Amino acid sequence: MNEDYIHIVLADDDEDDRLFFTDAFEELKITTKVQTYNDGVYLMDYLNSEDAILPNVLFLDLNMPRKNGMECLKEIKANEKFADIAIAIYSTSASEEDIENTFIHGANIYIKKPDNFKKLKKALSEVVTINWQYHTSGLNKDNFLLRL
Amino acid sequence: MPLKSIYRAPWFVKAVFVISFFLIFFVAGVTYKNMSDLSDSSDLVTEKYEVAIELEQILSYLKDAETGQRGFVIIKDSTYLEPYFSGRENINNSLAELKELIKDEPEQGQNLIELNFLIDNCLANLEQVQRFILKEQNNINSPAFEPLFARGKKIMDQIRAKIKVMLDVQNKKLEINQKEYENNLKVTPIFLYLLMLLSLLLLIGAYFKIISNLKKLEASNQALELFKESANQSEIVSKHGNWTWNIEKDTFSFSDNLYRLLGEEPHSFAPTIANFMKFVHPEDLEKLSAQVEEMKENENLPFIYYRVIHKNGTIKHLKAYGKVVVSGENRRNLLGTTTDITDEIESFRALEKRNLELERNNKELSAFNHVASHDLQEPLRKIQTFLSRLEDKEEDNLSESGLKYMSRIKNAATRMRLLIDDLLQFSRTNKADKVFEVSNINLLLEGAKQDLAEVIARENATINADAFPVINVIPFQIQQLFANLIGNSLKYKSEDRTPEINITYEMVKTESEKLLTNATADSYHKIEFKDNGIGFDNEYAERIFVLFNRLHNKDEYTGTGIGLSICKKIIENHQGFIFANGETGVGATFTIYIPVV
Repeated sequence: MNEDYIHIVLADDDEDDRLFFTDAFEELKITTKVQTYNDGVYLMDYLNSEDAILPNVLFLDLNMPRKNGMECLKEIKANEKFADIAIAIYSTSASEEDIENTFIHGANIYIKKPDNFKKLKKALSEVVTINWQYHTSGLNKDNFLLRL
Repeated sequence: MPLKSIYRAPWFVKAVFVISFFLIFFVAGVTYKNMSDLSDSSDLVTEKYEVAIELEQILSYLKDAETGQRGFVIIKDSTYLEPYFSGRENINNSLAELKELIKDEPEQGQNLIELNFLIDNCLANLEQVQRFILKEQNNINSPAFEPLFARGKKIMDQIRAKIKVMLDVQNKKLEINQKEYENNLKVTPIFLYLLMLLSLLLLIGAYFKIISNLKKLEASNQALELFKESANQSEIVSKHGNWTWNIEKDTFSFSDNLYRLLGEEPHSFAPTIANFMKFVHPEDLEKLSAQVEEMKENENLPFIYYRVIHKNGTIKHLKAYGKVVVSGENRRNLLGTTTDITDEIESFRALEKRNLELERNNKELSAFNHVASHDLQEPLRKIQTFLSRLEDKEEDNLSESGLKYMSRIKNAATRMRLLIDDLLQFSRTNKADKVFEVSNINLLLEGAKQDLAEVIARENATINADAFPVINVIPFQIQQLFANLIGNSLKYKSEDRTPEINITYEMVKTESEKLLTNATADSYHKIEFKDNGIGFDNEYAERIFVLFNRLHNKDEYTGTGIGLSICKKIIENHQGFIFANGETGVGATFTIYIPVV
């Protein structure tokens, strides 16, 4: 793990959302390295590649073409190699079903995409600064969904 | 009423005829006996007179002989002896006659023998007198004559006495017989008369009974006729036909309408199984034949379904049911009913089709609702996010009207967000996977209050609630319902007073609630939310539950017109009812009924 910056990866098929995401981190005063991928297939190709630098926090959109967020989540959780990656679900929907399913399959936090840029920045900054060790040990269904 | 019950007994007429038969038989027998008794006794009388006549005749012959002899003694002319000579023969004839008459009576027989002896003596004496006259030359003064004469008189007296004895015996016998006969005659006629009267009465009773039976028979015949007609009618109306199958003789009888079910005129063909099978749909023929065979063996069978084809090509669906009925000496009859269920099947199919369509429509609608609200969220969220960035970064560069437009766009986007969120919630309420749990309603109300804690605090609202029992409900939906109703009351609060909501609970019987007109359960949990808000005109009491229906302009009150529709949906999910009652300026009352299970 590199001490200088937090390595962040986002998989989202929506160009606007990727733009908001990278813009938000640019404006935040946190040293981060942000990489984005256009869908689940690109993401998994990267993660599985030999020279991949595994991210500290992975943001996963659920609704993506080819390979959706849920499939990615299952693949990542099935592989020991990715055990240290904190996974944040980053979705438009906040349906009970999606929250429950991703929680069961081992995601660490669920973020409903905010409708306001300030809120987005706040959410992202909170997520990347979480003490994951602490958060994960006390994880339950109530604090799984990030409340702003 | 033993008499009446005897009269009503079915064996009454039979019994009367048997009794009457024996009575008449008896009377005939007794009468016959009486008649023969009567003839016996008249025979006896005749016999007595004949005996008397013969005896008198004997006496008269003897007297003639004696008189003739006396003449002979006086005149000494032998012609006077004529009666004596003829007398002998006549007396013998009479004696023979007598003997015949009294041959059954030993006593009289003895008397007759004695009489005969006396007569012989008498005649012998007369002969002696004659000889004496001839020998002594009419010397009637001779001393020897006198004893002869005297002896003749003595014998005559004895004969008279004997005849009297014989007549007495005969008389006595007649008397006894007469008495017996009279006795009989005194009692039997009354007895016979009574017997005849009795059997007459019985026969009259039987006659009335037969008449009334006939009337009843006629009445029941008429009723039967009517019943037959109505059975015919009902067969036609309900499209069913009856048939009877005598299994032993292998004969059938079909009711009129069974022919009609096959599209034929009644009795237009012989009722046989072969003729019937001609109408059966080829695909069903094998199955039906097997089932018919099975019918003969089993007492009870399930319904048989098959199709028939009319001569004009119409296919009809029939349903048949048969039952073996054993009557008399093992006579096995299969009684069957066949019903035309074509309409039923067609309407069932139509219903099924429409149900499927409806289900598909519902699914589509639900999917559309869900997808629309989900997919609508994404562009809206981006609009809002871009707007927020525009506001942050470019606010200083915008003119006053630009700022105004941006504010309008923001309002419109916020409203759209509200609509989408409510729609999403409404579609979630529609979901089929509702899990009922026995829930603490008090906790659900607390949950709803917590959801609205901010507003309640801001409005300084008072909420009073009764204690609730546990009720079997879908918990999150009921909490949603409570939150919506409280939220509704707070939104439409009166400006003049602090909001107060009173929530009351009562368990009620269906019949005591005027509002429950088409309720299915016997009793209901009744929960009432009463507020002191602005209320509404009762004219709209039903409309407020309709989706997207609003009573107020959205400039006055924000809202989507979905909240109360969700309430109604939730209550319908619980097979309950919700009613609104308002008074403008005073407040609104929402009444909820949830069935007690």
